[in-house]
Amino acid sequence: MSDLGRVLRIDARRTAPFLAVPALALLGAVAAWHALLPGVAYWDDAVAALFTSVRLLGPASAALAAWVALREHRLDYLRGLSARSPSLGPLLDLLVLGVVTLSAYTVVAAVVAVKTLIRVQAGHPQVMGLLAGALTLLVYTVIGYLAGRVVPRLLTVPAAAAVTYLWGVARPGTWTYLLPPPDVEHIRPFAGLRTELLTGQALWSLGLGTLLVTGYLSALTRRARLAVPLVAATALIAGTTLWIHGQQRAPLTPRAFEYACRQWPLTVCVHPALRTALPSLEAALTPLATRLSGTPGRFTRVEYRPDNDFPRPGHGVVYIHLRDLSPGYEHRAEQEIEISLLDARTCGDPRHAAGARYSALVSAWLLDEEPPRLGDAAAAREFGRWDEQQRRQWLRTHYGRYHSCMLRGKDFRMW
Amino acid sequence: MIADFSTIVARGLGIRRGGRWILRPTTFGITSGVVGLAGPPSSGRPALLETLATLRRPAVGGLELLGHDVTGPAGQRAVRVRLGLLPDRFGWAAGLTAGEFVAYAAYFKGMPRRAVDAILERFELTDAAELEMDMLPADLRLRAGLAATCVHRPDLVFLDEPLNGIAEPEREELIGLLRGLAPTVVVTAPDPAELTGWCDRVFSMARARLIESLDVSRSWSRVPAGV
Repeated sequence: MSDLGRVLRIDARRTAPFLAVPALALLGAVAAWHALLPGVAYWDDAVAALFTSVRLLGPASAALAAWVALREHRLDYLRGLSARSPSLGPLLDLLVLGVVTLSAYTVVAAVVAVKTLIRVQAGHPQVMGLLAGALTLLVYTVIGYLAGRVVPRLLTVPAAAAVTYLWGVARPGTWTYLLPPPDVEHIRPFAGLRTELLTGQALWSLGLGTLLVTGYLSALTRRARLAVPLVAATALIAGTTLWIHGQQRAPLTPRAFEYACRQWPLTVCVHPALRTALPSLEAALTPLATRLSGTPGRFTRVEYRPDNDFPRPGHGVVYIHLRDLSPGYEHRAEQEIEISLLDARTCGDPRHAAGARYSALVSAWLLDEEPPRLGDAAAAREFGRWDEQQRRQWLRTHYGRYHSCMLRGKDFRMW
Repeated sequence: MIADFSTIVARGLGIRRGGRWILRPTTFGITSGVVGLAGPPSSGRPALLETLATLRRPAVGGLELLGHDVTGPAGQRAVRVRLGLLPDRFGWAAGLTAGEFVAYAAYFKGMPRRAVDAILERFELTDAAELEMDMLPADLRLRAGLAATCVHRPDLVFLDEPLNGIAEPEREELIGLLRGLAPTVVVTAPDPAELTGWCDRVFSMARARLIESLDVSRSWSRVPAGV
């Protein structure tokens, strides 16, 4: 083993930062796991989850780096009075810390990738997103380490964590949320992260990290030749900041896709990222479709649409919008279809409040929910007494009144 | 007094910390030999040692070490390879052996492996080289620290309270070792009495001033330093 290898091994043993890898990895993995859309397997959302984990993992790495720098300060008597460059000690520390941070990040990325892969995935892995996250995390580490070197006090450790955490969660200005780590929360199907923006963010992190490291080494060694990377890094940061500032559009771009469908007995089509939901949606929506058959609200096709796209249902097609596949999503889809059956204009009119209550009674049946308490107990009792076939037959004849919330008590006195 | 051959020359050297003077601007010179510096740690003694060892920038004044002006980076680079510093409660890590500790220091001082073996032998640490630093008795631990500090055979060594916690029987033997570390050795203690008798000159730090004590018994100082 070379002398440098021996020293690196001693450094790693001495400061014991590798003991922090499991803790950092666990912290990042939990954050990323919670950030993933429940039940949705979508590569772009996986990248967003990585950024979310970086916002938590970063401050933890910064605190660790500050603590290591604090401990290393005690060794300045050996490493500072050196025949070698005074930058060697800090560079070795940063190397060890970088390996620690990236090891934890690799575990987090693996957890996110496995969770996305075990479901039927959609989209394509964003390598640039992975790289941007890694570089951003390294910047956190550099900031923490330099803070510990410049202000070698115990208070620097929590201060480094607090300041970097605040940078992750509270950005000044309207466009700064695009700076690394970008605050993109969830990437829902139909949209994707813009690769060019991810590249810009990766370059910004690279520039900032280079600027901080070379700036510190320059102050330490006062070597004139360090001015070159210093100026280059400053130019890179300035350029990428201006470019990111000029990005008025959201960090997302529409993403082409092909519906994943299940054809029988009902045609249900969703984004491929939600393919796993097809059987349960089919099972949940078929009874509703059956109850509505023969009425103007009948449907034979259910289509999943983006959040901002609300076409008028008709011609046997209804639309659903699911934010994720968290428990109860089938019922939420049923409710959305049921609400789309009602005329919002008349049902929201206070003059039709009584009719709206009768429609709610029918809706409860359509959705297999508990019937609401109704003032007209006779109507509720009558409706409750009918069997399934009688109710369907009744709905075919009274659909228009149900749709416009104009049902009356006498509409329930048929049999 | 500043002699032409002074190892340390301070001209109007002043050190400040937290808005107050640790050392008011002072001019002094130190030639070769063992120089004692007395004062409690709260007097700013460690900061003075760090400044003299070029690890801390003085607030005012100039400093020359071994003929180099160390207020600039070029002078610092030239002189640092010839310095050694061992702070009070010097740092090491749990699980690190004495041999590894000295080898670690040797790497940063650009010394080959054989220099490690040589200094371990010189400081009678060959048998203890495989023992962890935590397991060593205080005197052997100090020897390991001294070996790490002097593995590159420095010309000027600063030792902050080296004899703190060392029992009396080992003290005499270690004093002989300390005197032979380098041509010029600056050593500190909280009380001037601990330094008299074996240091060639003794300074005291009081109220941010450096005062030379003239009452130095010469029992040890008849033996030249650096041998």
